[in-house]
Amino acid sequence: MNHGASRKSALAAAGLAIGAVAIVAARAAPAVPGMPASPLPASAAPVQAAADDDGYPIDHEIIIRRCQRCHERDDEGRMTRISYERKTPEGWQTSVRRMVALNDVSLGPDEAREVVRYLSNRQGLAPGELEPGRFEVERRLIEHVYEADRDVENTCIQCHSMGRVITQRRTREEWELLMATHRGLYPLVDFQGFQRGGDGPQPVDEAIDHLSETFPLETPEWSAWSASMRAPRLAGTWALAGFEPGKGRIFGTVEISAGDAPDEFRSQASYTYAESGERVSRGGQSIVYTGYQWRGRSNPGGADELREVMTVDRGWQRMTGRWFSGAYDEFGPDVTLTRAGGGPVVSGVHPPAVRAGSSSAEVRVHGVGLPANPDPAEFDFGPGVRVESAAGGDGSRVTLRVSVDEGAAVGGRDLFVGGVSLADAIQVHDGVDRLEVTPRAGMARIGGGAFPKGYQAYDAIGWDDGPDGEPNTEDDLRLGRVPVTWSMEEYTATFDDDDIRYVGALGPDGIFTPAIDGPNADRAGNRNNVGDVWVVATHEGGLRARAHLIVTVPLYLKFDPWQGVPAGRLVP
Amino acid sequence: MKHLKPINQKAGRIEAQAVREKMDAEMDVVGLESRPEGPHIPLGCSLVFAPGWEVDSTGGTAGLCQPVERDLFDCHLACFWPAHVPDQLNHSPDWTSQCASAQKDWRKLDLVFP
Repeated sequence: MNHGASRKSALAAAGLAIGAVAIVAARAAPAVPGMPASPLPASAAPVQAAADDDGYPIDHEIIIRRCQRCHERDDEGRMTRISYERKTPEGWQTSVRRMVALNDVSLGPDEAREVVRYLSNRQGLAPGELEPGRFEVERRLIEHVYEADRDVENTCIQCHSMGRVITQRRTREEWELLMATHRGLYPLVDFQGFQRGGDGPQPVDEAIDHLSETFPLETPEWSAWSASMRAPRLAGTWALAGFEPGKGRIFGTVEISAGDAPDEFRSQASYTYAESGERVSRGGQSIVYTGYQWRGRSNPGGADELREVMTVDRGWQRMTGRWFSGAYDEFGPDVTLTRAGGGPVVSGVHPPAVRAGSSSAEVRVHGVGLPANPDPAEFDFGPGVRVESAAGGDGSRVTLRVSVDEGAAVGGRDLFVGGVSLADAIQVHDGVDRLEVTPRAGMARIGGGAFPKGYQAYDAIGWDDGPDGEPNTEDDLRLGRVPVTWSMEEYTATFDDDDIRYVGALGPDGIFTPAIDGPNADRAGNRNNVGDVWVVATHEGGLRARAHLIVTVPLYLKFDPWQGVPAGRLVP
Repeated sequence: MKHLKPINQKAGRIEAQAVREKMDAEMDVVGLESRPEGPHIPLGCSLVFAPGWEVDSTGGTAGLCQPVERDLFDCHLACFWPAHVPDQLNHSPDWTSQCASAQKDWRKLDLVFP
């Protein structure tokens, strides 16, 4: 057998599948002749896969035709392995890509999208099942601790995030086969985490026990969700509120309209950065998987393209999630969309805090359907806060002038206006007592030579110690981003540490840009430009706070399905 | 350190470092960010091997294998970092085919999308 040729064809096929990355990211697939439609219907026609004792029957023509060569189908329509697991759309996409890359599956991009959509809808996760693992699909760089079993966590996170594990459900046999797959593909795993040697159960056995008990194929959550699952009706106007690290809060609207299928949508978002006033307009398209998992892409193909990962709430009134971009998905806002019915919606108030004793401070109320000719008396911020004037506009904002009594009680104020309210809309404080730099532990990756840079954005958050005057107590008030000057200091990991000279630069906006990748001949031992530094924020009056920044090596491999592919790699 | 004097350079550096850290701590108001408690290991980082990929076991970069290009071939051949470096066994048999020496030719290494 000519291995070279077979490898080549596998790579070409892999390219084909990689071309299909929009599977999850909402590039609506055109109908394929002869293909049973798998979009989630808007209503009726239950899609609940009639789960047998275990295993879900599969009746999708493409899956049967393309996968049956290896995945045998039994009398009840169940196919080996495939029928015995449930996953997120990202999870199914990863499986499809692996099958194409390693097992010579021939699958066109449109077919691949159909397969992922069918499996995500029939064998997905219920909202409650996904909740603890949302950070994984929302691509959040958080410090995650899997409390349920630290030993199992230790086995899994030797190589990858625990998020990959907790967003899957399998039968016990499937969990066992998954471990076998790991050993087949990566023979060193036995030494790296699966085995500890000696008699008795090994870490891999303990993991199988724990995972098959904690994440079984069939759960009450999934049977309840799948019985009622349908494509959500999301068309309409939504109020958008969000926060983008490094840039601050955003407010605006998202107009959602129906797409080509009941579970496909088009969206037009327009929003403003509250601090800078920068206006943004984005057009996008999306697919909602499993009745609630919004996967979209806005301004596709542009330099400002964003992926959208959101969760639709059960009542179809709110969506929360993250829009992101960047080589390591590090940029983009956290977002909340609230359905705007007939009446007004208040999304937020900016700035989020006013000092006691302020007079005629400008405060903007953001939302949807706000009055064009507002009456100041209608805006009620509660005791100690007087609204002196109000100016309307296009309904998305009202600009107020407020004065706060010198002796006003320190604390949050709810806003009531026009029959709607917003809890803790504004904080009345008596000065910034301390700062916090977020995130406390950040990470950037060197790049710009052969590999892309991984950036890290920081924010300086002001805090009032609250009525008790003690820091870090329950009554502390979070005052939002405050203006600071940014600098870096050496984090001493070794004597005569010189990292700060090499790792990169921290901009005036708190965004860290790492230095170039590759060996640096100027450093001892040709070290890369990696290192640890403190990121320091200094507020007026010398108030300081700092956070740890790790500048580390690139990833030479990315499993993330949406990463682009360098030109020239896909030539068959 | 009041009654002790450093008798060599290394001891001198230790003393100087202790003074620096004390000054740093005094500059920060109580309740501000302080040194994170224990190592902070960002999500998805592999650290348990020695050294780790992104961070070492203390949560820093001082103990990493450096420069990383020196170790890439071994990682690739041995499939030692399956989620970080393309493995030769299955996914990327030809990843290093253009590089005679990773330390010299690292720019030719392709970012792999499995």
